Amino acid sequence: MKQIKMYGVGGQGVVTAAKVLCEAVAIHENGYAQAIPAYGHERRGAPVYADAIISREPIKKKGFVYEPDYVVIFDDSVMDKGIDVMAGTSDQTVFIVNTYRTREDYPFIKHKLFWVDAHSIALNTLKVDIPNTAMLGAMAGADLVGIDAVGAAIKDKFGDKGTVNLEAARTACEQIASNA
Amino acid sequence: MLEGNGAASEAMRLARIGVVSAYPVTPQSPIAEVLSDYVSQGRLDAEYVRVESEHSAMSVAIGAQLTGVRTGTATSSVGLALMFEMLGVAAGLRLPIVMPVVNRALVSPWSLWCDHQDSMSVRDSGWMQFYAEDCQEVLDLILIAYKAAEHADVLLPTMVCMDGFFLSHMSQAVMVPDQEDVDAFLPFYEAKNLKLDPSDPMFINNLTPSTEFMEMRYQQFEGFNNASGIIKETMAEFKNRFGRGYQPVEAYRCEDAEAVIISLGSMSGTVKHIVDQYREKGKKVGSIRIVCFRPFPTEDLLRIVPENAHVGVLDRSMSLGAQAGPVCMEVRSALSERRPDVRVQPYVAGLGGRDLRPVAVTTAIDQMLEGTFNPAAQWLDVNENAMTIRRYTEVA
Repeated sequence: MKQIKMYGVGGQGVVTAAKVLCEAVAIHENGYAQAIPAYGHERRGAPVYADAIISREPIKKKGFVYEPDYVVIFDDSVMDKGIDVMAGTSDQTVFIVNTYRTREDYPFIKHKLFWVDAHSIALNTLKVDIPNTAMLGAMAGADLVGIDAVGAAIKDKFGDKGTVNLEAARTACEQIASNA
Repeated sequence: MLEGNGAASEAMRLARIGVVSAYPVTPQSPIAEVLSDYVSQGRLDAEYVRVESEHSAMSVAIGAQLTGVRTGTATSSVGLALMFEMLGVAAGLRLPIVMPVVNRALVSPWSLWCDHQDSMSVRDSGWMQFYAEDCQEVLDLILIAYKAAEHADVLLPTMVCMDGFFLSHMSQAVMVPDQEDVDAFLPFYEAKNLKLDPSDPMFINNLTPSTEFMEMRYQQFEGFNNASGIIKETMAEFKNRFGRGYQPVEAYRCEDAEAVIISLGSMSGTVKHIVDQYREKGKKVGSIRIVCFRPFPTEDLLRIVPENAHVGVLDRSMSLGAQAGPVCMEVRSALSERRPDVRVQPYVAGLGGRDLRPVAVTTAIDQMLEGTFNPAAQWLDVNENAMTIRRYTEVA
């Protein structure tokens, strides 16, 4: 069982990303998955998060993720907005960050870390700064899920815009960098 | 992939509801919206009545169902509260309306988020109540509810409750059965008791004198008595046809358990997960899940509670002024005379959207394993500022 916490800001498609990841695992990889969004006083630009649990076995627990195995950060400005991305993490927790360069002051700099410039990839492929499908590609690049399964789930979800979103995911999967 | 709300909409579509009268309310709104889409797309052959309130939503459902058609509505929280009067009418008219209730706290404090105060506050309204643990169960229990509720010996309306957001907005893979299989399980609806039919006029809900009132209430009482067995038969038939089995109350790793947590809804999944962790450490802990709260499965509960167990009941609402929440009172009532070996500890957890965090469950289990007991409800995972937060104080 892998527990995943995704942080971003409203408008980046964080909740959708959690759902697409779960569809990729549950439908296209014959696994089990559940996405648990946190709804509240949503507004564009405010910090948001979504939780996902994926597993090869049926998942009993419901509710939010408190001890994430993976933390996915769609926008590292959430750390400046008072979000503690380290909450509940252990030394083993893997981080996946949307950034063009890592920063020495990242609190998780010593963790296993993947990063990708999903911002630029989204602008180049989608022509709009919605990094969720690029970040899904990054999750595939970090071996959370297969890129083909993610691609199939993206095509299901985005309809007419499936092709460009798939391109964003594939590009991010290829361009992902790691400190490992 | 479906969310709990989507699973509910699919079940209602498969049941071929012919009239929809739903008023949107968070977190139920996606049900009202998706049913509207189904009607406009022609996927559901139904009349969609845009009502101005939940009171009207239930009134329209009652009138429509009296003409001999399955009706669809759904609500949450304050919407359910506004329906209160008409809930009793539906029950008294013996109309087997099936309604998803997406559990959300009642005001005040104002909240959009999950607890069970809404459905528990209408537990005596004459409706059956089922509580789902995951999104698949939302779909399955709704289909089971139609079949059991419409049985001639039952004829009771039914709420299928799902935890707001934790289920209503959680995405899971859900098996959606074929229409023809559902048609075979759930035949064409016919009005079996009162009906609105110009060729067969009758009094409906007229002023009923005391010489008849108690007898009619007694019929409802008997309907609930009959329902206990018919629900089990229906669950067995559902399993034969669709492969997924349910019980009105389910035991999990209870055989030799010294401490057992009783819960309902999505909480039960988390409890089972934590029970597994205790079992791995060799601790004798189990979980009991109440699927069917009305009618309450007293006999089954008596049978599955292990001997000499410490029983803790997790209530996601509180009966203020009582020692315990409504589920615990029910459990105590069921066990009090016939199970003197068992002690029942009331707990309150997860109000107003607070997640049932693992610490809430482990605190309860540890207390029970230690043998700690307090007859009054223990509130789990409550912050230390409980008595000072937003408290009005006079400025000197």
